[in-house]
Amino acid sequence: MQLIFDRGTLVLRAVPSELDVGALPGVCWDERVQLWRAPGRVAYSLMAALKRRGVHVTDGVRPKLAPPSAFRTISLRDYQSAALHAWRSAGRRGVLALPTGAGKTHIALAVMAATAAPALCLVPTRALLGQWMTAIREVYGGPVGCLGDGEHHLQPVTVATFASAHRHMQSVGDKFGLLVVDEAHHFGNSRFDEALQMSIAPLRLGLTATPPQDVEAMDALARLVGPVVFEVAVADLLGTSLAPFERITLRLWLDPDEQTALDDLSQIYRQAFATFQATHPRGEWKDFVAMAGHTDEGRRALAAWRRTRRLLAFPRCKQRALASLLAQARDRRTLVFVGDNETAYAVAREHLIMPLTCDIGRTEREDVLQRFRDGRLRALVSAQVLNEGLDVPDADVGIVVAGRCGTREHTQRVGRLLRPRPGKHARVYELVVQRSNEVRQANLRWSRLVTRSRSAA
Amino acid sequence: MLPEADLPLRVVAGAAYFDFLGPPDEPWLARLIDESMRFEGHPRRMLAERLAEPLAFVAPHFKRRAASRVLLRLWRSEAVSGIKPIVLRQAVFEAASAEPARSRPQTLAAVAERLRCPVPEIERNLFADLPAERALRAPTPPPTAAALALATNLAIAQAALMRSCTVTIHVEGNTRPIVRLAKWRGLICVLGEPQQVRGATLEISGPFALFKHTLLYGRALAEVLPHLTWCPRFALRASCQLRGRLLDVALDNESPIFPAQPPTPFDSQLEQKFADDLSRRALDWDLVREPEPLAAAGTLIFPDFLLRHRIHTHKRVFVEIIGFWTPEYLTKKLAHLRACGVTNMILCLDESRLCAEEDLPPGAPVVRFRRRIDVDAVMVQVTRLTASGTVTPNIR
Repeated sequence: MQLIFDRGTLVLRAVPSELDVGALPGVCWDERVQLWRAPGRVAYSLMAALKRRGVHVTDGVRPKLAPPSAFRTISLRDYQSAALHAWRSAGRRGVLALPTGAGKTHIALAVMAATAAPALCLVPTRALLGQWMTAIREVYGGPVGCLGDGEHHLQPVTVATFASAHRHMQSVGDKFGLLVVDEAHHFGNSRFDEALQMSIAPLRLGLTATPPQDVEAMDALARLVGPVVFEVAVADLLGTSLAPFERITLRLWLDPDEQTALDDLSQIYRQAFATFQATHPRGEWKDFVAMAGHTDEGRRALAAWRRTRRLLAFPRCKQRALASLLAQARDRRTLVFVGDNETAYAVAREHLIMPLTCDIGRTEREDVLQRFRDGRLRALVSAQVLNEGLDVPDADVGIVVAGRCGTREHTQRVGRLLRPRPGKHARVYELVVQRSNEVRQANLRWSRLVTRSRSAA
Repeated sequence: MLPEADLPLRVVAGAAYFDFLGPPDEPWLARLIDESMRFEGHPRRMLAERLAEPLAFVAPHFKRRAASRVLLRLWRSEAVSGIKPIVLRQAVFEAASAEPARSRPQTLAAVAERLRCPVPEIERNLFADLPAERALRAPTPPPTAAALALATNLAIAQAALMRSCTVTIHVEGNTRPIVRLAKWRGLICVLGEPQQVRGATLEISGPFALFKHTLLYGRALAEVLPHLTWCPRFALRASCQLRGRLLDVALDNESPIFPAQPPTPFDSQLEQKFADDLSRRALDWDLVREPEPLAAAGTLIFPDFLLRHRIHTHKRVFVEIIGFWTPEYLTKKLAHLRACGVTNMILCLDESRLCAEEDLPPGAPVVRFRRRIDVDAVMVQVTRLTASGTVTPNIR
């Protein structure tokens, strides 16, 4: 019997007539081509099931690329070794949940070296693509492949963006034996899940600082990558493996004219939302947004809501506070977090701080990070790019001006400041406008940072 | 592609019906175009924001949003003159970091002096190369309301197909580009149960679609649509994930979809030269490019050409030009043709990729070529295959 990889699926050929194929894991009859077919991810369980039934597979699926052999020795801290051990104990499938700055990439490199399987690392953004390639090159002597950001070349160790992996897994799904999924919380309920379903790789390692809380997403992630097998919270590592930090919230008052404008705008959309809730008692904001577009009144309400958000993003009180904080932190490396690119450019123009947004190309972005590292740039302002994964060493002041900031996003943002350095004491300032929902949001998003650890190992 | 939320459609009994734009929409479309023209020279971001806000005229909400997005795509960006923005950014932000005690005007003045570039130009061009900040240049000539309506309709239909995982198309004529496109994009294209006397019914889907309603192949399936507009008749049905559920979508050649660029008549210069040579040298024979597919044994065969004698029309020979091939492939193909009862097919094989003579099945109707197909050799094969008739091909 033959098992052939076909565009993200497995096709069964020369099936023995006595075999009950329908009972095999994941196998379905494909009427279109008159063949049995299974998703790529069940390759090894399928072969095991066939072996148990005494079926000889003459042409089974194996990772097509050669194992990487040029890894140097990687030393790990105690908790990193424990994480690696937990992953191994869980059958070499599972998710490690560690705070930003705790060295998740380092553990992944150790896993790649230890397993010696051709590895595909999946990362969410193009910014992280380059960062991972640099990190791999530091411990691996062979060439590093790249899928994404305009490049397409495969090597035994390859880094791919989620989007490129999703697009190309049909052709590369049989090339790798190990999948390393950075920021694994993006999987479980996303269109990119299919990339993991189409790969034959039996070994899977997920990395995240913020594992999904939704039970359904957790189950799906467990199926695709494995369960959370090791978890450490920020509080566990503060002062030892992570730099200690201080949170300072500045509660600001809008100028009278801005407050009046905010009140007027809020009244418009609140009134429309109240009318909506009167007719739809269980209706939520997203339902309102979906309905609002149908009427002039609704459209006005949405426009008012958008203007409210724009006003709160960078009002004059925040501009003054930011100027003052930047002046204070003149000799310290500072990251400014804002809500959108437009505000990032406004801050950049006003305070002459380099913006790092999704619009900035890869070459310039890498150059900017390098200049930030060596001190030629003292501050960066970003809306989303710095929210996740990007390694920005030695930033010790963070100023959160605004953002559509949930707990996860906030954890990631604060994590940018926690990479340890002797004598470092990070400081996170939050600019919050009084009499707005920013106060409530600010309180909510700190909750997860102080969560105690839980280890499933 | 348009986001799903912007699609003007009605849902009736599990089916989605598109509110395509038409002549009644042209007055407000014209005003929408006028409104957008006010933003010439402004950042793209500003026009996008304006189009998202209430406008001074009444227009159907979803149609307007879809048309706004299509209109925004038509605008181009102004080229940035003077010093490159990336150079300006490096100079300005490094200067500010190097001497943080200096005020903003002082820093900008210092940079302006060093780069010999006035401060207003530095301020104007600092981010002028970034997508949302680029200054807009109006399309020339500006689109007409009717053209914008048709372009929007195509975008609407494609956006819906982007959310499908299988499409079924009954098509008459011009089938080949559709099948070829499906193959290139790694899709499975099978011949469905014939519903009508003429044409063919194709079911196109991706391998992984067997396991879930995946949108992975949506883009490839949506690419089929512009090709269909060049088919004399077609009827497309798809099951699309819209408004949170699966809805049936139907499109046909009556749908007001803007035609894409016409398909190129020939796949390659090689085919073009062969057609030119043959039309000049075999005067009694007509050459039909991409004839109707041959339905045989549950599959479709798409010959490149049909040679048909002008007087004795029963004398018909198909010609297929084969690029990459292996002996195994060729043997299988010939066996398949025989099994399907297709005996009047000549295969033209690229000699640079040819195997040894003994690898070819004996008596195979093949013509070898290098760079250019020898029409005389093809006509010799035509004569052989039509030998039972009385007419000899007229070769000049």
